[in-house]
Amino acid sequence: MPSSLRNPPVNGDAHMKRRLALALAGIAAAPAMALAQAPGPNTLVVGYGTDASTLDPADISSRDTANIAQHIWGTLFQVTAEGKIVPYLADSYTESEDGTKLTFKLKPGLTCHDGEKLTAEDVAYTFQRAADPNLKFTGNTPGFVFSSLGYRSIRAVDDTTVELTIAKYNPIALGMVGEVYIHCKDSYEKMTKEQAAQKPIGSGPYKFVEWVRSDRIVIEKVPGYTVRPANFEKVVWRVIPEASTRTAELLAGNVDIITNVAPDQIDTVNKSPRAKVQAVSGTRRIYVGFNQKEMFGNTEGGKAIRNAKVRNALQYAIDVPAICAQLLNTKCERATSLVNPPNGNPDLKPYPYDPKMAEKLLDEAGFPKKNGVRFEIVLQSPRGRYLNDANVALAIGQYLTDVGVKTDVQLMEWASVYVPLIRKKEAGPMFLLGTGGGTWNALYDMADLSTPTAGTNYTNWEDPEFFSGWAELSQKRPEAEQRATINRMLKIFYERGPWLLMYFQPDFYGVSNRVDWNARRDEKIYINEAKLK
Amino acid sequence: MWTYVARRLLQSVFVIVGVTVISFVALHMGGDPTYLFVSERATAEEIAETRAKLGFDRPLPEQYLSFAAGLVQGDLGNSLTYKTPALDVIALHFPATLELTIVAIILAIVISVPLGILAALKRGTAIDGGIMTLAMFGQSMPSFWLGIMMILFIGLGLGWLPISGHVPVLEPLLAGDFGKAFGNIPAAATYVLMPALTVAFFSISRNARLVRSSMLEVLGQDFIRPARAQGLAEREVVVGHALRNAWLPVVTMIGLEFGFMLSGVVVVETIFSWPGLGRLVFNAINQRDIPLVQAAVVVFAVTFVTLNLIVDLIYARLDPRIRLT
Repeated sequence: MPSSLRNPPVNGDAHMKRRLALALAGIAAAPAMALAQAPGPNTLVVGYGTDASTLDPADISSRDTANIAQHIWGTLFQVTAEGKIVPYLADSYTESEDGTKLTFKLKPGLTCHDGEKLTAEDVAYTFQRAADPNLKFTGNTPGFVFSSLGYRSIRAVDDTTVELTIAKYNPIALGMVGEVYIHCKDSYEKMTKEQAAQKPIGSGPYKFVEWVRSDRIVIEKVPGYTVRPANFEKVVWRVIPEASTRTAELLAGNVDIITNVAPDQIDTVNKSPRAKVQAVSGTRRIYVGFNQKEMFGNTEGGKAIRNAKVRNALQYAIDVPAICAQLLNTKCERATSLVNPPNGNPDLKPYPYDPKMAEKLLDEAGFPKKNGVRFEIVLQSPRGRYLNDANVALAIGQYLTDVGVKTDVQLMEWASVYVPLIRKKEAGPMFLLGTGGGTWNALYDMADLSTPTAGTNYTNWEDPEFFSGWAELSQKRPEAEQRATINRMLKIFYERGPWLLMYFQPDFYGVSNRVDWNARRDEKIYINEAKLK
Repeated sequence: MWTYVARRLLQSVFVIVGVTVISFVALHMGGDPTYLFVSERATAEEIAETRAKLGFDRPLPEQYLSFAAGLVQGDLGNSLTYKTPALDVIALHFPATLELTIVAIILAIVISVPLGILAALKRGTAIDGGIMTLAMFGQSMPSFWLGIMMILFIGLGLGWLPISGHVPVLEPLLAGDFGKAFGNIPAAATYVLMPALTVAFFSISRNARLVRSSMLEVLGQDFIRPARAQGLAEREVVVGHALRNAWLPVVTMIGLEFGFMLSGVVVVETIFSWPGLGRLVFNAINQRDIPLVQAAVVVFAVTFVTLNLIVDLIYARLDPRIRLT
């Protein structure tokens, strides 16, 4: 039979379309064959964007690797999802009167994964090993925790008591101690650095099983570990760098939790029968810095932003909720300071979007419009570092231009170009940046501006009234007594601070419908809290 | 011939040294990598301390000489991110890329050569037109788009193949675990098919066009007529006489493609979560892991030089008129 008779050429185009539609419907309706990839009831699979770099507890520096590490090792204290600091391997702690000696009492019956008893000597060794200059560690513990703590020394008093000495009273000491992964001396003393980087021996609820580079890390529940109960017998951290592939794996039922769902895929996930997206306001503070450095003083814009009235005026020029809704695909509340809620000053309200007010204040500050332009300024921004950062920077540039601040947005490569500029405090005069924060203490977030010369004061801001607050704070404790000073400092920051206040970066997690797990604000993923529905 | 090989090997040393110098200078032109290895809140003193620990406080020539001295002894330094010898990290990722490349090359040859021959034999017909249209389509289609479409339709929609991941064959094979290597082959085949097709698609398209034009040129030459006059079957004429002569440009292209694929399958490795070398080096560049990038550059340079040499030797074997002097 001629094919033309089998398929009458009447309205052939419509026929073709119908066939295509049927094919697509067939594809959509076809049950995805599991191909032995779907996790069983005792296994949880996390789809992750990056591989771990090292599994040496003293060398771990990225949040991504730390999320795996915090299941392998225990810490003395731990920050809860609500921002409370609670004992973990430690049972209790006491502080000397001057605040320089912290004494921790360990829980009884602790062991490491090789069966070795975990004692105070092991805790002391953990700190001493990370601080050993001969071992040249560059991880979070020696590179950040120790300096934030003012670490001096540590010693085991007896089997279950360890005494930590720090330079001076430190209100964020407990939180910092909670970032140190405790490991056993006997096992790590026998290892080379290379062995320690690849085959860790932990002290947490899960023990290390295997690490297939750039592919997966597998951990397994430690039988009888009661300090932190875990539900799943096995957890697989699969490296899936491409966001759309992670989403596809989630929708196919092959992974249970994925990180960093691309904003344009949120609807697809939410409409699927397999998973939902959990959007949380993260703790990373996205802001535009006003760099006061001398080198910018001879530029029109650099000179203008040294004026606190100009900085205040520009706060009204940006529609932050619109940026969140349009570019980040979520609702977010505008920040009122550099401190994460709920630790900020409760009296401060987010600046509204009010371009008329911005124009009025700019006029009053002595920057009237001439031919539609008040002054010109450069806004530098990384491209691809933060969620939709380039478009956010372009939007900010447009909002500022709309009120007469002609903004030249310069987008830059992160690693080679932007980071050195930021670190030398030479980005700007306006620059977009995101810095990590926490939920557990206002002072932790405020430490970015601990002194005018602090490494993280990328704006070179020197307001004497704000910085004098730190001397006041050092005389007061506990935190409740510090609150009035903190609130006053945050009000100064709100009114004339060096940040154009933006938002806390939202984080999007895709979570399978079979799993009961809640995303946290601080980018920490605790799998031991997850369970099957 | 051995003189030729020796001379080429000597040239290779200069090539490799040149490549390492250029890449070393280029990597350091990107500024001080120390900043990526310290905390956001590190003080100037801590940054200086880390710089010294990483060895970036020394003058550049001294850093290069230290790298070169290590290179001679087969020590390319430690990866700054992985904290283990850079060569070990590369060795862990190389087999996966090699598997992907080998399968992609096989697919490219197996599909492109018959298509090219068919197009040449059916020149001017609808078959020729169809194949050439497909080839043009394949050459203009970005691999990331093709990969994502395959994932959506074949992996997610139909569920015929795994969406992403890797089951190793070469790695256990090289480790002497033959049971595991051969046992893994069926699963590995399902995992490699989509990424290999994505990698191969461009080559299939280009090589089909190349084979077609090469075949047309050879089929029009004088020596084909006597072959036919001798009464040889058409198959014998095409495969035995024409194809052998048409192979030369294809072999050159495939040899070079093999080298490019080894180092240039970053996008496909990323899309399919393939734990290979391209993705490793791409991440290392982003993380400014200079020792790892340098080691990879050496490995790539050696691979390219070796492949070029092999191509030249095959060339001489296929065409005796070419003399290796």
